[in-house]
Amino acid sequence: MMMMELRETCSDGPDRGYHGYQQSLRSRRGPSRMSRDGPPHLDLASSEDEDPPSRTPQKLAMPMGIKKAVRQLQHMQVPVSSKRTRHSRALKHFYAEAKETLAILIPWRKAIHKIGGHFGGGVQSYFVFLRFLVVLNFLSFLLIAGFVLIPSVVLSSPNNTPSIPNGTNITGKELCMKYDHSPEVLPVFYTFFLDLLSGTGFMEYTYLFYGYYSNTVAESKGVSYNVPLAYLLTASFYFLFCLVCIILRMGNVVRVLVTTGSGGERGYSARVFTDWDYGLQGDRATGLKQNTIRYRLQVDLEEDRIRLRAASLSPGQTVGLYALRALLNLVVIALIIAAFFGIAEATSFSQREAVKWTGVVGLLLEFLPSIVITASNFVVPFLCDQIARLEKLSPSTTVIVALLRAVFLRLVSLGVLLFTLWSQITCSGKADDTDCKICRYNSAQYQCWESRVGQEMYKLTLFDFLTTMVLLVLVEFPRRLLVDHCSCKLTRWVGRQEFLVPPNVLALVYGQTVVWTGALFCPLLPLINTIKFFIIFHCKKATLFQNCRPAIKSFRSTSSNFFFCLVLLFGWILSTVVLIYSMAEIHPSFGCGPFRFSPTMWSVIQASIDNLTKTTQDFFNIIGSLAFCVPLFLLSCVVLSYVAALASVYGKSVAILREQIKQDGRDKQFLVKQIKDLTRILGVPKHEEDQYDPGASWGDHHASASPPQYLPNVHSFPSASHY
Amino acid sequence: MGGAASQLPKEMVSEYQMIFFFLSGFFLRAHKRFSELQDRDSLSSRVPMEKILTMPELKSNPFRRRICHVFSTSEPNDGSLTFEDFLDLLSAFSDSATLEIKSHYAFRIFDFDDDGTLDAGDLEKLVNCLTGDTDETRLNPEEMRQLIKNILEESDIDKDGTVNLSEFQHVISRSPDFVSSFKIVL
Repeated sequence: MMMMELRETCSDGPDRGYHGYQQSLRSRRGPSRMSRDGPPHLDLASSEDEDPPSRTPQKLAMPMGIKKAVRQLQHMQVPVSSKRTRHSRALKHFYAEAKETLAILIPWRKAIHKIGGHFGGGVQSYFVFLRFLVVLNFLSFLLIAGFVLIPSVVLSSPNNTPSIPNGTNITGKELCMKYDHSPEVLPVFYTFFLDLLSGTGFMEYTYLFYGYYSNTVAESKGVSYNVPLAYLLTASFYFLFCLVCIILRMGNVVRVLVTTGSGGERGYSARVFTDWDYGLQGDRATGLKQNTIRYRLQVDLEEDRIRLRAASLSPGQTVGLYALRALLNLVVIALIIAAFFGIAEATSFSQREAVKWTGVVGLLLEFLPSIVITASNFVVPFLCDQIARLEKLSPSTTVIVALLRAVFLRLVSLGVLLFTLWSQITCSGKADDTDCKICRYNSAQYQCWESRVGQEMYKLTLFDFLTTMVLLVLVEFPRRLLVDHCSCKLTRWVGRQEFLVPPNVLALVYGQTVVWTGALFCPLLPLINTIKFFIIFHCKKATLFQNCRPAIKSFRSTSSNFFFCLVLLFGWILSTVVLIYSMAEIHPSFGCGPFRFSPTMWSVIQASIDNLTKTTQDFFNIIGSLAFCVPLFLLSCVVLSYVAALASVYGKSVAILREQIKQDGRDKQFLVKQIKDLTRILGVPKHEEDQYDPGASWGDHHASASPPQYLPNVHSFPSASHY
Repeated sequence: MGGAASQLPKEMVSEYQMIFFFLSGFFLRAHKRFSELQDRDSLSSRVPMEKILTMPELKSNPFRRRICHVFSTSEPNDGSLTFEDFLDLLSAFSDSATLEIKSHYAFRIFDFDDDGTLDAGDLEKLVNCLTGDTDETRLNPEEMRQLIKNILEESDIDKDGTVNLSEFQHVISRSPDFVSSFKIVL
């Protein structure tokens, strides 16, 4: 059957005028006379493999038409491939397949792809960030469980008597060692629920909090495991691990940012001509791609409009705008400072009064700091958003400014909370204060201050989670029901919810910072956070599809990915400061925890180094000494400056190349103009002029697969000059 | 096919190439798919456009009709394809077609009115294909105007208000992803 087709096509007519162009690719020569001698002996149905069976050509009779077909196929540049190209293609195929199979391990891939198609890249980046945090928390939990929790559970002795290391003087400190953690004598029926929420009562003396871990070097079956050392080292390693993950992710994002330029650099024409992926199959994939393309175009066009409008302001208007912006920034700062005062007051009030009350009132007082923080985190960013509208910045800048302001608010409000706690635990650092004299911390209020700090972080996490859920259920769903079923003017003005990414991202960063701060004091907090973020992912996805309308104007997601990682890094820095300070400065509680009788948590490391051999001690001493650190510091400064110089050189060459591209475009325009002028001056007749008019149709090109003539046939000029 | 020679003459090399091609997976797959699309009873070797558009690779492609029109060699161009046209199509969209061939064909696909240049009307239809051609998914007229103005500003070098083949290829040559996205694999 194929042979019949070949015969027919070979006997088809020649040049079809407009389709004469096709000759350049098919090299059709005109009607060929078919020799209809005998059927070909080529048996096509025999095998499908690439390597032909061993048949000598002599046995095959090739009719004329097939020879013609051969020449046509050669010019068609069809994949008759050499060994090397086949190998490289097979390798590429293998890599693609491997990436596909590995990608199956990534959770929620399809869901995130669907979200990206329906709601744009901005919302998608939020969910990608959330997924990153879930995985990070889960891995951290595995780390902590493996090195701290499971050994403690497995190797713990039934009687948890604290072993007092030799050489510590505990005379006069019996008061400090008192730790009363048993649940209340008269448990009311809802005490269980209250204790669950606030981490007190029965929950306090469990593996959840620092106070439960013993300070013994647990020994069982000949395996000795130093629990305090493991606790400390795991906490430090957990922080380093999170830092490495964040930096790797930032590096990825920055690489993408640099290679793709920043979106608009690519130019509208390049995007419109090359963005479509012809391999997409199915209506859903096509629809998603079309949505993505449309969003990006709309966002960029909007940014261009705003830039044009800003550039067209008169100087007086510009000055007025900048003055307005300065004033509004001052207002924002004033709001934030007011929030800080509120939080500090609430925290100290709560710490003082909460122990005096029980029941629901006590619970409310316990949660007062969380309530005030959450309230300020709603009110202040909302006001900032309204203020930002007056500032008339471009959409992506507005988003970044709002993000930075809200980050500042959230993280520093957390810092204020921690500072207030610290001042109460250590009597504001005054070691001679009556409360703090004996035990070096306020043992009257805080019998086990680490557990209390852990409880505060636990309460913050829970409250954040509860607030999110309550908002979803009580605000977003009813809002959608109201908008759908009641069509009064108010609902039409309010409209359906729009999924705002920056506030949601900030909530995530805030939650993660709280977990990092509390991880030293509440080792199971990463597990709780994993579960919390997992539930939040699914709930946010549900509310997105049910309640939210697609964003009319979404912001550019490439640079915002970078900012999410940046604010996460800020949170990490805050919690590292807390960690280092707690480890190095504050005296651990006498009554609880694995560092009971050490002067600081860090001294455990010193003690265990002393137990090592002399050479290892000398090694550590050398590393820790100035003679080693200063040269190391200088060396790293040199390396840093080299890398910075390299980076600036690359940046400059990228800028030069971009300028060169623009210059090339201008050169071409100049050349084209020159050619047009010259043709006019030389008075070349019209039909020849058409021949080297770049705008001519391709019917005039002769039949060969030569590169298209961008510049006209230069050798026609001499003939023109004969005129 | 002469006697046994120690070195194969050029003709035999080309015939070997032809044998390899006919036995290659590419050709056999193309042949299989094309014969599936063909009507058993009709004697014509052309497959009408509607049957071609039922292929899953083309069914949801917004440029499917233009692709059929561009590769069709029928006299009143109705988009029907012979097997040779079909092979042309597949080879232009294959891995081994060069950037130049792909950009040639891309230009013809985007030239909706077949006049040899991309003018504002062509660009508007192109953008509508990219974003979806329904009322909710089209750009509004203001945005469309701004976009077409930007495109012509960037790519129309001789300032004649249209994008011709050379200008088009100039834009394409700066996009490294074009070759891998202009691909249909059976």
